[in-house]
Amino acid sequence: MSQVSWAISEDLPAAMAAAIGVLAVISLILLVVEVRRAERLRALVMISGLAATACMLLAVLRPVRVEVTGTEVGPRVVVLVDGSRRLLLPLGDATRRKQALAAAEALRGHFESSRVSVFEFGQGPLSAVGDPPRSSSRVESSDLSEALGELLTGGEEKPVAIVVVSDGRLTRPGERLDESALRTTLPKSSTPIHTVRVTDTAPKDASVRKVRAAGAAVAHQPLNLSVEIACAGGLECDKVPVVVRELRHGALPAVLAKGNVEIRDGEGSVDLSVVLERAGERIVEVAIDAPAGDEIRDNDKRILSFRVTRERLRLLHVAGRPTYDVRMLRTWLKSDESVDLVAFFILRSNTDDPGTDDETELSLIPFPVDELFTDHLPSFDAVILQDIDALEYKLARHLPALAAYVESGGGLIMVGGPSSFAGGGYAGSALGRALPVEMSDSEKPFDLLEVVPSYTRVGRAAPVLRAVRELLGDELPTFVGSNTVGPARPGALVLWSHPARKVGNEAMPLLSLGEAGDGRSIALALDATYRLAWSDRGAEAAGRAYGALWEGLLGWLMRDPRYEGARIELSDRCFAGEPTTLRVTPVSGDKGRIVVELQRLGVEGAEPKEHSADAKESGHVDLPLGILETGGYTAKVRVGDAPPARFDFACERGGEAWADSRPDPERMKSIAAVTRGKSATIAELKSLPQPAATLVASERHVTAVLPPWAWALLAAAAVGGHWYVRRRSGLI
Amino acid sequence: MGRRSALLGLAGLGLASHSPAFGQAGAFSVRILLTGGKKLGTPRDSGPARWAFELVRRTSAPARLGSASVSADDPKLLTEPFALWTGAGEIPPLSRPEQRGLERFLKLGGVLVVDDQDPQRGTFGLAARRELARVLPASPPVKLDASHVLYKSYYIIDRPVGRVLGPKALDAIVRGKSAQVVFLAHDLLGALARSRGGAWSLPVEPGGPRQREYAVRLAVNIAMYSLCSDYKDDQVHAPFLMRRRAGRGP
Repeated sequence: MSQVSWAISEDLPAAMAAAIGVLAVISLILLVVEVRRAERLRALVMISGLAATACMLLAVLRPVRVEVTGTEVGPRVVVLVDGSRRLLLPLGDATRRKQALAAAEALRGHFESSRVSVFEFGQGPLSAVGDPPRSSSRVESSDLSEALGELLTGGEEKPVAIVVVSDGRLTRPGERLDESALRTTLPKSSTPIHTVRVTDTAPKDASVRKVRAAGAAVAHQPLNLSVEIACAGGLECDKVPVVVRELRHGALPAVLAKGNVEIRDGEGSVDLSVVLERAGERIVEVAIDAPAGDEIRDNDKRILSFRVTRERLRLLHVAGRPTYDVRMLRTWLKSDESVDLVAFFILRSNTDDPGTDDETELSLIPFPVDELFTDHLPSFDAVILQDIDALEYKLARHLPALAAYVESGGGLIMVGGPSSFAGGGYAGSALGRALPVEMSDSEKPFDLLEVVPSYTRVGRAAPVLRAVRELLGDELPTFVGSNTVGPARPGALVLWSHPARKVGNEAMPLLSLGEAGDGRSIALALDATYRLAWSDRGAEAAGRAYGALWEGLLGWLMRDPRYEGARIELSDRCFAGEPTTLRVTPVSGDKGRIVVELQRLGVEGAEPKEHSADAKESGHVDLPLGILETGGYTAKVRVGDAPPARFDFACERGGEAWADSRPDPERMKSIAAVTRGKSATIAELKSLPQPAATLVASERHVTAVLPPWAWALLAAAAVGGHWYVRRRSGLI
Repeated sequence: MGRRSALLGLAGLGLASHSPAFGQAGAFSVRILLTGGKKLGTPRDSGPARWAFELVRRTSAPARLGSASVSADDPKLLTEPFALWTGAGEIPPLSRPEQRGLERFLKLGGVLVVDDQDPQRGTFGLAARRELARVLPASPPVKLDASHVLYKSYYIIDRPVGRVLGPKALDAIVRGKSAQVVFLAHDLLGALARSRGGAWSLPVEPGGPRQREYAVRLAVNIAMYSLCSDYKDDQVHAPFLMRRRAGRGP
């Protein structure tokens, strides 16, 4: 098709044309003034003056005829589909996302004569809707402002119309903005934004709308959680019970706090104080007991991961008698400002005779065993039992609680001595299940043979002993005797073993690490690690090997990343019902097979699932964990022979994106209104206006109306005529 | 009781060989520090065994009853964290190896007790201070406050005493937060020395069985300090100890 238009001569600069226009206007003003002075023929003077001015103007501008021949193409229309995970909320028999994608397809048909591009918006750059479109999404926000900015301020062809398909619960622009505020959050453009509302009806839904923590989570310190609950869609709510639980390994969830939320105008909140005793990644569930009629159950609870730090490492050190080994450990622990040490040493037994009956002459205090191992036990990060007889000092009755303490995340080190392990009455006790070695009271509880512990293969690979090996090499000092212990428990790791004694076919463990539930434990069947400083070998390293050993042991016990065999993270957030991938980066030097044991938290006796892959020479390895359900999980990762590292994570179906299921049709209407667009439901989308087509030129012809000499002649004649009339009118 | 007997038995074995058994590796042992080749003479050479015996009898701490001595320049000095330097009269200056040995011992965290057998003259004490000033020139001795843990590590004691009453306070070289070299001008070993017949070898001055008992208590406190350092300074003990001191009166 062709299109004709008119223009001025192309050799005339625009500034010149403007100057000429100004001169023409001045001429006309002067003409009017002159005409008033004329005695006669005023009308003729006026007409001839106008004609002369016009002809002069045309002689300079020399108009041309422009004929453009080309093809008409459709205008560019961009459809932005909300790609947030929120749109996975159910809608009828499908989801909002399915409806939105269907609407986008329908828009392609509606704007048949336009060039339609369909993108998803959410977080970050726009992404194309796949073919077929993805049925899921991992994006948690709906930032329309950012998406529009990318479209309208980028270097590409600007669309003539934008259509937003969403439920309106956008991250930006926010809700309840007035017209002027809404304008400021949208990019400045004349492009109309039409909106297609996926749904206008809120489902009957009670949900955990928001969980806010007041400050960072610190072990043993109260943490205030503000929990907002909402009821929407006409669901009748009065009081909604809320419970906060910690999901632990191998045990049922531990209730941290409970409360009731009074719902007024569909919303309510409650402040709950919780105490997380263990540092590290802790998985907490905040759940409501939703009233009957709740249509969306998946947002009735949030499963959150809290990174719990500790101000200081709080340790309980209990020793059955004072020795150089006790002194050395105490001195080392006290030298660390980050350790809050509570120590109890038995300085006098029932058979000792202090030489006085007057207690005021002694500085001794009763060993508060009951108080320590009941009320105060959870407040400690780890317990060190050093050569203390459980029977003589009435510790035996607290051993089940101590085992439960370890299983709920506490740390335990049993240090050797005549009254440790079987010698202290621990064989056959409940604590046995929390220790990494078995104990038997059928043998002599300790051995008098001098021993130089041997590194096992695992011990050589373990980061926990790396510093000791760097200082002393593989040759450790000689120790005088050792406790008699049984074989390592399944899953435990032996780092040092006895070079001469056997248990079954294996060398007797001297230093072993183990996991019990959420906690870790260490069994050290030697009573004189102070010899890592106070011995010929120890002195060669200026005594530093002692600190290196205990720093490693405590660090491993407290899950210090420096002593873990691998760095573990999720390649992306875990969403229930979708594939999850674990990213494992072995620490330098660790090679071999990577074995992951995945276990559900908060479930008693949950069977671990094993996944494995070969470690690379360097870099990380991605291990698919398959599709997981809602809950907390722990992944125990072992790289080669190194001790396992652990990573806990939460898996939710909707997460924060599902916390508020209400659509926001008003926001969709406001956006359309302030941009001169139109808002419609899916059913009404055919009412959206069609933008005009655009002509793309293939040929352009420019033809002068008259040759320049003709314009000049015409102008001269008109000016001459005007001069004649003026004379006749008496103006000249 | 069975374990305790076993330990004493093992300790008895230790008399001959001085090699500890399991449970005894970290046991308290009075090692006599030898400098300039001078050995501990009678009757005080029985003092270390008595010291260990009293410790085992009165407390839960294990101790080795055998007598041991170690030279300041002997690498074996660095195998245990306690040594007693005792003598009377002038001592020759420490050789360079002896200085280095003592310096390493103290830097590892060892506790050295300097006991002047003739505190009235005080020659040994002064000489020891002079030599230790060469080992640790940046750490001069200071007077220990009456609240120092040495006065409450097992017994609550008001002042140090030995064979002689001596000064009312202890001097010490304090490194970090711990008293690493304790100076006694009380002849503690003299108060502990016993003859083969079981009688006390040297009379205490000004005298009385209480003084001997208090000397033994000081020895026990020093041993406890070397075994559990400042344990009795822990906050958990503070209210008990304050009540007990208050209950003892002025």
